[in-house]
Amino acid sequence: MTDFLELTVSIGEAGCIYGLVALSYLLVLRPTGIINFASGEWAALGAFVAVTLISQEKLPWIIGLPLAALAVGAVGWMTERLTVRPLVDRGAPVLSPILALLGMLIFYREMYSWMWGVDNLFVPMPFGFGRVEIGPFAGTSQSFFIMAVTVTVFVLTWFFFEKTIWGKAFEAVALNRMAAALMGINLKLVAGLAFAGGAVIAAFAGILQAPITTVHFLMGLPLAIKGFTALVIGGVGRVEGALLGGLTLALAEKLTIRYAPIPSGFALGIPFLLLILFLMIRPGGILRAKGAD
Amino acid sequence: MKIQETSNLLRPVFLTIIGLGILISATTAFAETIKIGVITDRVGNSAAWAKPVEEGLEMALKEINGSNGVLGKQIELLYESDQSKPDISATKARKLIDAGVVAILSISNSPSTQQAQTVTMKAKIPHMTPANSADYLTKKLNNNYFFQMGPLGSTQIRTLMAYNKKNNFKRVALVKDNSGLGTYLGKIFKQNLEKGGTSIVAEQTIEIGSTDAIAQLQKVRAAKPDAIYHSGIVVSSMATFFKAYHQLGMKQPILGSFNLSVPRYLEVIPGLLEGVTFIDAFDPDKKEAKVFINKYKKEYGKVPFALPAYGYDGLHVMVNAIQRAGSTDPDTIRAALAATKGYVGALGAKGTSVDFSKDRAGFSKQGAVVRVIKNNTHGPVVHSGY
Amino acid sequence: MRGFTIWGVFIGSLMALAFGLEGYAADLFRKLLLTATLCVGFNFLFGIAGQIAFSHIAFYGIGAYGVVILGFQLDFPLPLAILGAVLTCGVIALVVAIPSTRLEGFFLALATLAFAQLFSVVLLQGGEITGGPQGLSGYPTPDLFGIKLEGRAYTVVISIVFLSTLAILLLIDRSWFGRACRAVRDNSATAAAMGVNVFRIKVAAFTLTSTLAGVAGVTYAFVDNYLSPIVFGLEPMFLLLFMIIIGGTGRHVGAIIGAILLFLAPEVLEEWVGRHYLLFFGILVVGTILFQPNGLIGMWETLWKRWNRRAIPR
Repeated sequence: MTDFLELTVSIGEAGCIYGLVALSYLLVLRPTGIINFASGEWAALGAFVAVTLISQEKLPWIIGLPLAALAVGAVGWMTERLTVRPLVDRGAPVLSPILALLGMLIFYREMYSWMWGVDNLFVPMPFGFGRVEIGPFAGTSQSFFIMAVTVTVFVLTWFFFEKTIWGKAFEAVALNRMAAALMGINLKLVAGLAFAGGAVIAAFAGILQAPITTVHFLMGLPLAIKGFTALVIGGVGRVEGALLGGLTLALAEKLTIRYAPIPSGFALGIPFLLLILFLMIRPGGILRAKGAD
Repeated sequence: MKIQETSNLLRPVFLTIIGLGILISATTAFAETIKIGVITDRVGNSAAWAKPVEEGLEMALKEINGSNGVLGKQIELLYESDQSKPDISATKARKLIDAGVVAILSISNSPSTQQAQTVTMKAKIPHMTPANSADYLTKKLNNNYFFQMGPLGSTQIRTLMAYNKKNNFKRVALVKDNSGLGTYLGKIFKQNLEKGGTSIVAEQTIEIGSTDAIAQLQKVRAAKPDAIYHSGIVVSSMATFFKAYHQLGMKQPILGSFNLSVPRYLEVIPGLLEGVTFIDAFDPDKKEAKVFINKYKKEYGKVPFALPAYGYDGLHVMVNAIQRAGSTDPDTIRAALAATKGYVGALGAKGTSVDFSKDRAGFSKQGAVVRVIKNNTHGPVVHSGY
Repeated sequence: MRGFTIWGVFIGSLMALAFGLEGYAADLFRKLLLTATLCVGFNFLFGIAGQIAFSHIAFYGIGAYGVVILGFQLDFPLPLAILGAVLTCGVIALVVAIPSTRLEGFFLALATLAFAQLFSVVLLQGGEITGGPQGLSGYPTPDLFGIKLEGRAYTVVISIVFLSTLAILLLIDRSWFGRACRAVRDNSATAAAMGVNVFRIKVAAFTLTSTLAGVAGVTYAFVDNYLSPIVFGLEPMFLLLFMIIIGGTGRHVGAIIGAILLFLAPEVLEEWVGRHYLLFFGILVVGTILFQPNGLIGMWETLWKRWNRRAIPR
């Protein structure tokens, strides 16, 4: 039983990271309809900038974390401006920016290996490495930190969408671009902000994960795939869906590894089986979008 | 008047003749190199491992060319990057052969070396891997032109088992990752452990890209093993393994493959590796190793470890064979390589040498050493061979 | 008449290259032809039938592994092994296609992506049958009527496979099937209203193209006589997608151009730029999409039209 309780912390931790990446996809997808597979690379960039700021420049996390996230946000904005907006302006089909972003994936990765080298890099944990027990739940300080930060990010994002005028603007664009434009909403600004926001959130995922798994120029793609799976499971309609999807994915993965009597190599296929299952049975995800049936 | 005109003509003609002469001797000087191809990875999964090996190659190259090269000519290394993709590796092998190399060194990953081998086998070009450790490289294909200098997976696990004989671990856990080499080494470890009477009570894979290994290690803990053997090679998965191990308060001894001989781990997961036992191909106390360490420190300003030594020894062995062959004919070089015996390089335990005469996998079966990590550094050799 | 001449020149030069090249150039050519074969097939599925499927490379792998397992582990005679491998592809394609047809757009992409990843897991965990991480090697080159299929002879075989695949796709494209596929791609509701059996068309398009990929896979098995799971993973699939986008989606010639360009680009870039050639490769991909969303074939046609307009006397 203690195993299971400890496992829940692990599930929470992993689920939060997946959820953040899923949220990054969602933030871009909803107003623009673009699936940004380069989200994983933004997470990696966050981790690399954290290496420079926190490991090398020795800035404390309280400054390094937001600074790195903002830096990646700027990159996200630039990406939209340079590689997506020209296509949207020209009326290109939605597939074109998706593919352009896939091309950026290759570009980003190679930039990282050029700027930071091909070796794995280190980011220290903000609260040191040690076993922390909160009630019956045990994990590392990093586990609880990840969950705390993730919940904060999700709450703030939810708040943004529900309560602020900008959030309503995003929703409006997501529901009906034409109408939103007619109402005076600046579509270009929304798109730029969506990308910047998505980049910031992805960066959080990368930075939070960095002390546990180290930082490497190839770390983006596995995160991108996991995040995307989480998004589909949770449903693309709602912010909470991203976190729920991440937790569900993590739950399925970890429970299978821990308790299923199959060789662990095969347990790696679980996320994909889950994905296929969800697509067959409930392609809308667990949570339906607001306004849908 | 006439003399002036003539000397006006003569000067440019004279200069042209001298210029041509220099050009001709320059091009023939360039033509006077012996080309050795190197298939490496500069951008993919193996890039982090191939780079230090390249540094060792370059150092050896400088030495060899500094002392008049071989057979009176300088050695030239032609590099091709295969992105750790086996089909590209085979294409690059063909490219190098067409470029006129006398031999090829493969320093990318094992599957890439294997596919490249199918090409060198047909083309009958000497082909060597200084660092790959997969046993199947010399067993699956009957390629007499291929030689392997890395410490075989079987050699590694047997050496670890011999070291642990006094501990008599009867029930062990095996942890690996889902990389090609990690899974393969895991298979070799398992085969040999079971043959030696040890039972594997838990076998877990840590996926590349996972954020923690708690579930896997909980399962391992539940099986109550006496020790944990680790055959993984991907740094991120290794990092999550060690973090989970400590978080769960586990105490079983950890025994790792030659992957842990890379000092990078000490930098990215400091303090979590105390007491971990691992295999290395490098004994820094060996006389030849000390010489290598000093040269490397002077050249690069940092302390070397096994990977650059693979490159260094690898090129030296190849060039040594060319020297003994006395020609650049591939068959003669192959024969000379196959006759290599008693070569003592920077790698290998004290008293062992490279020997291709009995087995194309020439790293001595007694050549692997066991070291322990203490105070976040690689400790001295505590055991060798089996 | 003009069409025949172009075809004649095309096939003629292909064969000339097949017979003439050797060594490194021939190896590049062989792998380029296989890539082009995959591209035209995938282009039909993606550009003409409108199905975003990421499983194409997985079927390439099923064909390759299939023929080696059947031919050298179960010791089937080679023709039977080839047939078996291709049939297996067809059957698996049907099994994947039938439930997937009700998924649209990116959901289909996801399902096929998951299938492709599952295939990779199976390859890696397949123990002795698939060779796991070490792959399958050590099987001999086959011979056809006494001629050993390697070197030039094999380049000719691969050229024939490529031309046949292209011919099949061109023929069905021009037939009612091609029109039906396009109708379904553009608007499946309208197509259904016009009497097209959307379900059958979708399944047929998927099964056909996946089986053609399987045939290419059978051919790949003997290019280096070694199969590694890495070759059949996710990255090659993304590259395939880039190739047809850059060449021009939905156009056969575009697919071939995309294959040639993106296959040779890394080789050429590496010569020019050295270590970090992938950086420029990424920029090339993004640049082409930005400046020419219709792909290079679209650009060619625009230039051609402009040139023609100037040539018409006023």
